[in-house]
Amino acid sequence: MTRRRPAWIAATAVAAAIALAGCAATIQSYVDRTADFATYRSYAWGPPDSFTTGDPRLDNNEFFRNRLRNAADTRFAARGFEKADSEAADLLIHYHVNITQRIDVNELDQKYGYCEDCRPSVYDAGTLTFDLIDARSGRLVWRGWAERGIQGVLERQDWMERQIDEAVMRILARLPRRL
Amino acid sequence: MLQWLLTWSAVAILAVGAGGCAARQAGSYVERGVDFAQYGTYGWAPPDPLPPVDPRLAENPYFQDYVEGAIQRGLAGKGLGLEPSADPELLIHYHASVTRRIAVDPFDRALGGACYDENCRVRVQEFEAGMLVLDVLDARTGRLVWRGWARHGVADILNNPDRMAARVNEAVAGMLETMPSGAQLTAGASAAERGGPR
Repeated sequence: MTRRRPAWIAATAVAAAIALAGCAATIQSYVDRTADFATYRSYAWGPPDSFTTGDPRLDNNEFFRNRLRNAADTRFAARGFEKADSEAADLLIHYHVNITQRIDVNELDQKYGYCEDCRPSVYDAGTLTFDLIDARSGRLVWRGWAERGIQGVLERQDWMERQIDEAVMRILARLPRRL
Repeated sequence: MLQWLLTWSAVAILAVGAGGCAARQAGSYVERGVDFAQYGTYGWAPPDPLPPVDPRLAENPYFQDYVEGAIQRGLAGKGLGLEPSADPELLIHYHASVTRRIAVDPFDRALGGACYDENCRVRVQEFEAGMLVLDVLDARTGRLVWRGWARHGVADILNNPDRMAARVNEAVAGMLETMPSGAQLTAGASAAERGGPR
């Protein structure tokens, strides 16, 4: 019994890591190398998407939109951007959220024998994308996005709000520094 | 001691992870700070263009009847009355959509057998998930103040009106459970008693 314990601990730890991995976000961004971010001082929100998100609960969801915009306004202000009318703004901000169902077959864990119960599973993954568009040229100058498993996130409003705040903060932390 | 600590922290993390994954079948979102006691009446409004409504539900007269009946009964229970005339305080609409989803479960385990080798078969099933979303808007401002949702597989209800009625009633009751009460129930009650927005 005593000798078997480390294997059990390892299996539990791996299972825990998998459970957490489903919730760990990937944050990435692209930047237009030729864009000079020092010239951008103001921003405005572009029109919302006119296509579906993949989950009817999020389509035309004003609660989601307002929380996200408030969180982003705070981050943009912290970076020294001023909110302006869409005619006067240097940057137009657009966001898109997309939900898709994924399958995790746990192949690696089966191969290395970490788990006795390596069941394939399905989960919902959400991607939140921010686009910054140069208002004069119409060119995309920056895109940042977060992707993660969102199982349960849309089911409780307070949890959804916390996840929005965190995702927005982490995506916009990757904005280029202005000198 | 270290082993004990590792084990229990792993178990705790697992429990938290799994807790996040326990699926709920109905729920709601609410505009923070809106006092529902100011509302007493509602009227039907045309739905948003998004998401597209599944034609098998949209063109099913039973479904329309069941949903609208369940919503009207449910809202009456919340102290909100249908006001067919020009001036309701709330506007409501709903949409029913169907998406194809995948479920996986290990075949051998499902039959009661244990499987430890790599040949364990997994059964992948495609199924259709229905989602009913009810939007409640403040008629004056046009802003969404509450959204309820409920989901259920649709395979067993499309051709069975009785089962459809039962599932629709459950769905609407489930989403309205968390809705704050309107004026007709809240006259004289304090904000805490009527379970207003947190």
